[in-house]
Amino acid sequence: MAGKEKPENGKLKVGFYNVTGCAGCLLSVIYTEGDFLEFSQQVDIVSFPFIKEKNDDEQELDVAFIEGVVVTKADEETVKKIRERSKMVVALGACAHLGNIPALAKMKKSEDLEYLKYKKEDFNMDREGGPAPLHTLIKIDYTLPGCPPDRDEIRQFMKYLLLGKTFRNYNDPVCVECKLRNNGCLLDQGKICLGPIIAGGCKAVCPSGGLKCYGCRGFVQGIDKEFDGYFRIMEDKGFSLDDVKRALETFMAIDAHKVLDEKFAQYQLNRKAREESYE
Amino acid sequence: MQKGVFDDFVREVMQSREFVAPVKGDQTKEVQESFFTDIKDPSQIEIGQLTYFPIKYYFFAKKEVLFSFHKNRIEEPEIDIPERVFFGLRLCDLNSIKHQDTVFLNNGFRADPYYQARREHSLLIGMHCKKGDDHCFCQSIGLKDFYDLMFFDKDEHTYGIDVGSEKGKAFVDEFRRFFEEKEEGYITPEDKVTINTFKLDTTNIKNLWDNEVWSSLSEKCTACAACNNLCPNCHCFTVEDEVEVGDVTKGQRVRKPAACLVKGFTRVAGDHVFRDDLVGRFRHRIFHQLEFFRDRYGETMCTGCGRCIRGCPAKIDWVTGINTAARKQRGGQE
Repeated sequence: MAGKEKPENGKLKVGFYNVTGCAGCLLSVIYTEGDFLEFSQQVDIVSFPFIKEKNDDEQELDVAFIEGVVVTKADEETVKKIRERSKMVVALGACAHLGNIPALAKMKKSEDLEYLKYKKEDFNMDREGGPAPLHTLIKIDYTLPGCPPDRDEIRQFMKYLLLGKTFRNYNDPVCVECKLRNNGCLLDQGKICLGPIIAGGCKAVCPSGGLKCYGCRGFVQGIDKEFDGYFRIMEDKGFSLDDVKRALETFMAIDAHKVLDEKFAQYQLNRKAREESYE
Repeated sequence: MQKGVFDDFVREVMQSREFVAPVKGDQTKEVQESFFTDIKDPSQIEIGQLTYFPIKYYFFAKKEVLFSFHKNRIEEPEIDIPERVFFGLRLCDLNSIKHQDTVFLNNGFRADPYYQARREHSLLIGMHCKKGDDHCFCQSIGLKDFYDLMFFDKDEHTYGIDVGSEKGKAFVDEFRRFFEEKEEGYITPEDKVTINTFKLDTTNIKNLWDNEVWSSLSEKCTACAACNNLCPNCHCFTVEDEVEVGDVTKGQRVRKPAACLVKGFTRVAGDHVFRDDLVGRFRHRIFHQLEFFRDRYGETMCTGCGRCIRGCPAKIDWVTGINTAARKQRGGQE
């Protein structure tokens, strides 16, 4: 629980770290602007290498935010060490949460990607298992999803941290906010928008700009039959499971195949059972 | 009113009030489908089609600040709503406002002041619709006359106007020069007819609770809640506290619309979810619209506008579903 770890006296010790990633999520933290300044006064920002000159990377932390995906062996060591000295770890952004674009490397043979690798000493990209989101290596207490995470959600998280309340992610589909933002429906336009099965909280920023939802925030948690509905709509519109997978691969290369295969098998079983019951 | 003076009438009203009317949406703009907005020029008005978006958010705000607080001090906001004239509302839109009034104004010991302020500064002008499209079924519901003024397309050159309230009468007096007095009975019952080709069989809905129709209808449902958010009647809301990062004892309590199709709607402390099953949530929405609301307030909540079917990504036609189920239950007899 956020804040349970809040020390009796003094301020929360907070660190912001980054492993392989574009630092966009750390930028999103800074983009909370005035609120980040307020936050930095109320907590002790022990380490934030991205914007701070002097950082203490030995101290025990109350909260560690980690951005990025684990690609190198050094990355793996870094995140494990941070976990050891932190009471709470927050996965910041889609890379840390789902693997995001770097995880696309998993779709190809390692040899085929050789030409893309940095040829540098001390930079070993041949970590076994390929790019890995944080939860596969260490325990994660909270996630701020999205590519990049929504700054209002980061703000919200800061507040909850200061209040000592349990933070909950927005868990309604993207469509809810999308309709409230006066958008029509991209599914009606024949696009494979992933909105109905993807958790919102992003204020439907992509559909509002005419782009389909690519699913950077991960699936809505705890849904089941909703997938059946989605597959059914896709089928009626003439899209195959592979089409849906491809749409989802961009941000969820790891989960796209595993989860969708599972849900699709379930969908077919349910559908068969239902058809039999009608006869 | 002569149709020829209509534009002048709109321009004159716009001098002293916001004039809210249906306009077309634009895929490249902020609002992608047809909606109600305060227009700048009469040429924007588009009354040929029912709007994609409902009128309700003018009264039931997407974000309503209930009060702001600092430690134990509470401050209520000043509600500053401009005087608005709503034009081009269809009878289904008007009845949905009536139902929202039932919930927010005439329900319990005191009216909701936020909603009330928005309603008090509004004048409702309807535009009669002669013929519904493939998805509306207001005839099956039986809508009531509820308006300040109602326009009827009398002939090529004239709008016949029915005055429905004192407020409407005062408005006509203010803009006297655009209106002509007519004899009683000028608006005939024939003028008020709306023809629907699409119909809902309301005779047997109570007995359909355990029917298999709900699981077959919700087969395509993804719980995206487009139906909730586009429905002019859905009025459920959630209340949140938004505090400031700099001082967490300071903040605002806000009210936002909530959608009963999503799973989180019935989640309570301890993470229990009352209507965990999508089929149950789907059924609940329809039953609230057609049965529960009537049990409590004596009127069917649904106004038959069909926005939930038009806006649904799967185009789930629950009306036909209910009709078929009801017919089956009667043993296939018409």
